[in-house]
Amino acid sequence: MIGEFLSYGFVQRGLIAGSLVAVVCALLGVFLVLKRLSLIGDGLSHVCLTGVALGLLTQTSPVYMSLPVVLAASLGVLKIMEKVKIYGDAAIGIVSAAGLALGILITALAGGFNADLFGFLFGSILTVDRTEVFLCAALLCALLLFLLFYYRDLMAASFDEAFAHTRGIKTNRLNAVLIIFTSVAVVLAFKVVGIFLISALIILPPVSALLVARTFKQVLWISCVLALSSVWSGVYLSFVFNIPSGATIILINLLFLALAFVYSRVGRGYGRKGKKYAD
Amino acid sequence: MPGVIDVQGLSFKYTRTLVLDTISFCVQPGDYVGLIGPNGGGKTTLLKLILGLEKGVGKIKLFGVEVSTFKEWWKIGYLAQKSPVSQTRFPVSVEEVVLMGLCYDSVHKEPTVTNLKEVYRALSQTRTRDLARRIFSDLSVGQQQRVLLARALVSKPQLLILDEPSAAMDSASREMFFDLLGELNQKQGVTILLITHDTGEVGKYISKFMYIDKELVFFGDKQAFCQSQKVAEKLGAFAQHTIDHLHNNGHCPLGCQCDNVHGTMGHYAAHGAEAVHGGREASCAEKNRGVGAPVEKTAVSAEAVFPAAGAEAAAPAQSAGHNVPATQLNVENVSPAATTDGGKK
Repeated sequence: MIGEFLSYGFVQRGLIAGSLVAVVCALLGVFLVLKRLSLIGDGLSHVCLTGVALGLLTQTSPVYMSLPVVLAASLGVLKIMEKVKIYGDAAIGIVSAAGLALGILITALAGGFNADLFGFLFGSILTVDRTEVFLCAALLCALLLFLLFYYRDLMAASFDEAFAHTRGIKTNRLNAVLIIFTSVAVVLAFKVVGIFLISALIILPPVSALLVARTFKQVLWISCVLALSSVWSGVYLSFVFNIPSGATIILINLLFLALAFVYSRVGRGYGRKGKKYAD
Repeated sequence: MPGVIDVQGLSFKYTRTLVLDTISFCVQPGDYVGLIGPNGGGKTTLLKLILGLEKGVGKIKLFGVEVSTFKEWWKIGYLAQKSPVSQTRFPVSVEEVVLMGLCYDSVHKEPTVTNLKEVYRALSQTRTRDLARRIFSDLSVGQQQRVLLARALVSKPQLLILDEPSAAMDSASREMFFDLLGELNQKQGVTILLITHDTGEVGKYISKFMYIDKELVFFGDKQAFCQSQKVAEKLGAFAQHTIDHLHNNGHCPLGCQCDNVHGTMGHYAAHGAEAVHGGREASCAEKNRGVGAPVEKTAVSAEAVFPAAGAEAAAPAQSAGHNVPATQLNVENVSPAATTDGGKK
């Protein structure tokens, strides 16, 4: 069964792209969740709708059309947070609402591509093409390099942004780079899980990992492992039972979250909270 | 010699609300400055501006360098009022948190043995060495604050900027904390700028006071502070507020009903008693001598401002009664060189 499943080219591409995107989202998600910016994935995914609608309207690839639109929106979020001095979630809400409204408007004005749009809204991992796989791989490589160089800065800025600033860390620049990475990840991820579920891929694995990990590095590793496991098992189950892959992936992530919560309460438990781990 | 913190003509607005108005002062090396003022007076905003976390109008120099181009951040240790992750789980060990205080190359590399030695030195200073392997967010708020002080100290800073750091600490930790700050200032010459409402406890160490209420009301040494007419006018309401709280149930906390008041008002009564009478030790001594007469509601004690200099400044008045209306304090001996009354240049 599994051999047959893996023999299809579209399944292989879907699995590779899904795995790459899942790892990117899991890694980015750790920092976004800790910085309380996790809903940026949700906001930017709504902006994707504008890009997808424009792509379908102009008969170009919705992915390539979405990329500049979402990048512009992410810069918009940064500018609103910086200049208007409002909270990040409100800035995300503004850009999200604008993206969703524009997307709906373009869809309504153009008409006739509702069926195509459905695939983007709820994910169609098995339609990923070769170029998109390469883009996902390039994105993951760039992110790993970024983390390799700025791991400690990112950890310090996620822990305490004001103090990180007083250590000479350019926290605004780090935030900007994180958000730009997120916007590209969101665009590449909407085929995997769909526009409506991207944010779950960014939030759920890191939150589960935060519940069970004992070190920051463990958070990153566990988050990646959970994300990968959810994509592989989700795609396989969707193939076997002929159910939507995006929704299956997210439900598996929710199951992981529930297990992590139980482990954090029972396995690690409150009883050991005060235990001294020093030598 | 340039000042450690040199602020000239600093103003700041949150949208339309003026928070700080044309403030100028210069903190010299070795100063221990207590920054006080009412809530909403702009104290925390001033610290944020000094650290470059907010941008205002005017000039701020740290060690002679404009804050926007300042690079030698290891010279500065900063401790905020609240722990950044007191409510959320953030799986980093205490050791890692203190390591964040070192300004080493941002390119990912493991800390060196020297780095770790510095970390454990700082942890020992704040008596948190035994917590080194614990997860930071599992600690109590008071323990977290002591670890964050270690983080501020790990780079051996020449300037410490502290925003009400003792608010979450128990009395023993507070005493240790202020003793440590006093030692750092007196023995190692570390310059300290400290926002505090705990004037009673910290008063014995502080060398200068700064009073901010949107504008710089006062900046100068302790003696001048106690004798400043402008401060007396400003502190009137502040002192009255404390006294009103102490008399909520009609008993003076330092008089015969002391235990009763402590029992019903808890920590606040103790805190207020310290503010009025200059620290727990002095309070107990006065209580034992039986001189803790009820505080007149209309009077403002010089010692409400701070205990050590207050005792000197108010000494003549104390012979007639324990409390001295602030407006009756001697204002003739204020040295113009030692004080910046008003602060605007």
